[in-house]
Amino acid sequence: MMYSIIYNYLTGYFSPLVSEAGAILLMFIIGFGITLNAPILLGWVDRKLSARIQSRYGPVYTGKFGLLQNIADVMKLLGKRFITNSVVDRLVYNAVPIALATVAFLMVFIIPWGNNDLTIIPLPYNLLFIYVFLAVSPLFVLLAGWGQNNKYSMLGGFRGAAQITTYELSLLIMLISVAVLSGSYNISTIVSAQSSVWYVLYLPITFAVFWMASLAITERAPFDIPEATQELQAGWKIEYSGIRYGLFFIAEYVRLLVVSMLIVYLFLGGWNGPLLPNYLWFWIKAVVVTFVMMTLRWVFNRPRIDQLIKLGFNIMLPLSVINLLIIGGLVVF
Amino acid sequence: MEATGSTNRITINIGPVHPSTHGVLKFVVDIEGDTMVKVEPEIGFVHRGVEKMAEGRNYNSYTPVIDKLDYIAALNWEVLYASVVEKALGVSLPPRAVYIRTLMCEMQRIMSHLLFVGHVGEDLGNTTLFMWGFRERELLMDLMESVSGGRLAPMYVSMGGVYYDLPKDFESRLLPVLHTIEHRVLNEYKALSYENDLFIARTKGVGVISREFAYKYGLTGPNIRGSGIARDLRKDEPYLAYDKLDFDVVTEKGGDAYARFMIRINEILESIKMMRQLVKDMPAGEVKTKVPWFFKIPPKYTFVRQETPRGEAAMYMVTNDDTKPYRLKIRSPSFYVMQALRELMVGHKVADLVAILGSLDPVPGEIDR
Amino acid sequence: MESLDRIKGRFPSMLKDVPSTNDNEAVVELADKTQLRKIVAEAKKYFDLLFMLMVVDRPPKTFEMNYVLSSYSKKDLLTIRVNIDRDEAEIDSIAGIFTSAEWEEREAYDLFGIDFRHHPDQRRILLPEDWPGHPLRKDFEVTEEVKNWTGLDMKF
Repeated sequence: MMYSIIYNYLTGYFSPLVSEAGAILLMFIIGFGITLNAPILLGWVDRKLSARIQSRYGPVYTGKFGLLQNIADVMKLLGKRFITNSVVDRLVYNAVPIALATVAFLMVFIIPWGNNDLTIIPLPYNLLFIYVFLAVSPLFVLLAGWGQNNKYSMLGGFRGAAQITTYELSLLIMLISVAVLSGSYNISTIVSAQSSVWYVLYLPITFAVFWMASLAITERAPFDIPEATQELQAGWKIEYSGIRYGLFFIAEYVRLLVVSMLIVYLFLGGWNGPLLPNYLWFWIKAVVVTFVMMTLRWVFNRPRIDQLIKLGFNIMLPLSVINLLIIGGLVVF
Repeated sequence: MEATGSTNRITINIGPVHPSTHGVLKFVVDIEGDTMVKVEPEIGFVHRGVEKMAEGRNYNSYTPVIDKLDYIAALNWEVLYASVVEKALGVSLPPRAVYIRTLMCEMQRIMSHLLFVGHVGEDLGNTTLFMWGFRERELLMDLMESVSGGRLAPMYVSMGGVYYDLPKDFESRLLPVLHTIEHRVLNEYKALSYENDLFIARTKGVGVISREFAYKYGLTGPNIRGSGIARDLRKDEPYLAYDKLDFDVVTEKGGDAYARFMIRINEILESIKMMRQLVKDMPAGEVKTKVPWFFKIPPKYTFVRQETPRGEAAMYMVTNDDTKPYRLKIRSPSFYVMQALRELMVGHKVADLVAILGSLDPVPGEIDR
Repeated sequence: MESLDRIKGRFPSMLKDVPSTNDNEAVVELADKTQLRKIVAEAKKYFDLLFMLMVVDRPPKTFEMNYVLSSYSKKDLLTIRVNIDRDEAEIDSIAGIFTSAEWEEREAYDLFGIDFRHHPDQRRILLPEDWPGHPLRKDFEVTEEVKNWTGLDMKF
């Protein structure tokens, strides 16, 4: 465990109390660092990737390969004035970005970063907790839409709530299928259950449906319907600017990363693999999945909200339920 | 929120500053849930009094104003305006000028349609298609710049011909570009747009224009060719060199946004075909008949209509033995499209507003004049 | 033009031929403006597209209304020309016959100040609601009011 490694290392130099405090502080710093830096790096990758797909260069001037561009953007967002519309519900308006970023932050703490030792806070049922943190976001989307007191944001909020609620149902059922198969809600148990055969071979339909649902739940294009720039301008984010908007970005990219990691953990064998160290195996898989997730954004157009909900309730939900029943049957008999 | 009574009807303003209005348009939309129940288009945000301006300047100095009407296909309008004046004046063009004008018109049409393709992609949330449309348009923009010196507002057509001859290496530069565009439209765009399931889901059956509807609102051009009405002034009333060209009038059955998209895609290919013929048959000689800068036109009514990328554009010019028009009425096809939108959009989802608007390809500069 | 002869046959001695300077175009002048709706309704049987509505200001007395009708299937154009009094600029709306005329008439109302009777929704279309005057009239002057018009009910 990361905590005990750091603690043991520190006790060599300091008293136990100081070491404990130091270990907690360090883990906070690590978690914070990941939360803040992952979006910057992922944002850069996203920009470069989209640029290449669209015959552009993307950022080139800021640092080598434009690597510092997103840092510059964060500086810009930090330096921006807080603009608060006079009609907004101030409490809700101010709370939502912080809440969303906090949820992202919590996911970073719970999920294993490569292998079981690299978990910041190990929890026995971490899969369930991650699900809860993913599932809580429609509430915030709805609140943000409401709190801005704007028709566009309200529409976006409704859409977001409808979309994510639709997909969470299938997501939960798919997580249950994986749990039924492995007999656990713990990611490390699920991964070790896949040491011989990856679950993608057992559950190909679940894998495909899970991929779709995770796209929908991260609200990235093609499923960015709640914030559809071309229809609702920015949907539920419409009145946000400056670093509040930046917090949404953090939440979005952390969610993207977490969902990609979940796909690897649940279906692609996690950190299992020959020769290379296990965390390297995990990161190779995670990077590939994240890349595919990002590419999908740039090659598809956005479906309509009713089409998406129809797809969710008419196809994906029945599929996942049937899948769960089959797996349950297989496991029992 | 303005919820009226027990129904959950909300009025939202889409525009005048909105990413998908292709300029400055406004829609006052009443929605129930996500469905539009009443749409009222409002125009006039970029009204510059173009028709009034015509009454105040001489025939030649009015051409730059025409450029700003439909800034996506400025050259087609320049040709239309020059044709009206030439017809009133009784000037005939040298054959090379006719061919160059036709060539540039078709080039402008491809540019306009490429922009359309990109914009439909953007409206549906596919930014890659948007960028690709601009990428291909840029190739033609460079050619346009080498010919006329201008990219968006070329100011190339003069009374009695065109201002400059084509550059010497024009043909050798044009043909590879045409090949590239043809290849990309046929192969690269396919996966992203017209054979993409999500794209089809968003455009098929959306904003269906029936034959009666098109007649009712006086729609013209590619928008009605998508409804199976094979009307194209280039074929029906050939002007310029169109009667010497071998091309087909593209039609589609559906009448929906998808059909209108396909019309534009196929028209790009037809225009490429035409441009190849034009370059091959390009006659030599003068590019301009001498027309003095100031001239007077005796009192008469002159009417000319031509096919611009957005439909049938026409000018009706009343002259009064003066160096400037007495009255110049401009028929812009997009104006009629805007009028039709209030009926076309009702019953669709808010998300379809952008799909329908994009597929009809209006340009505010031309609507508001 | 055969169709024109038929229209004239329905309304004898109401339409007067005017020589046209354009190919395929026939121009007729209608003296009695109250008959416009009937004529246009009859003409719609042959010309299914209202191509444009051109108003020409002929001071000091008349507005010349040119209804250019066209057809989706034929090349022919028919221009119905009606002269109306400039001081009492008023004419029947044909928006009930050609729906596409609705905005054209709004535009004529906006820029010339012509009043279309029985128009479904006669408002300004291109200019703001409170714009002073009708700019396409030949006697439109750029007055102080026009120059200082800001579009805002606000004192600076």
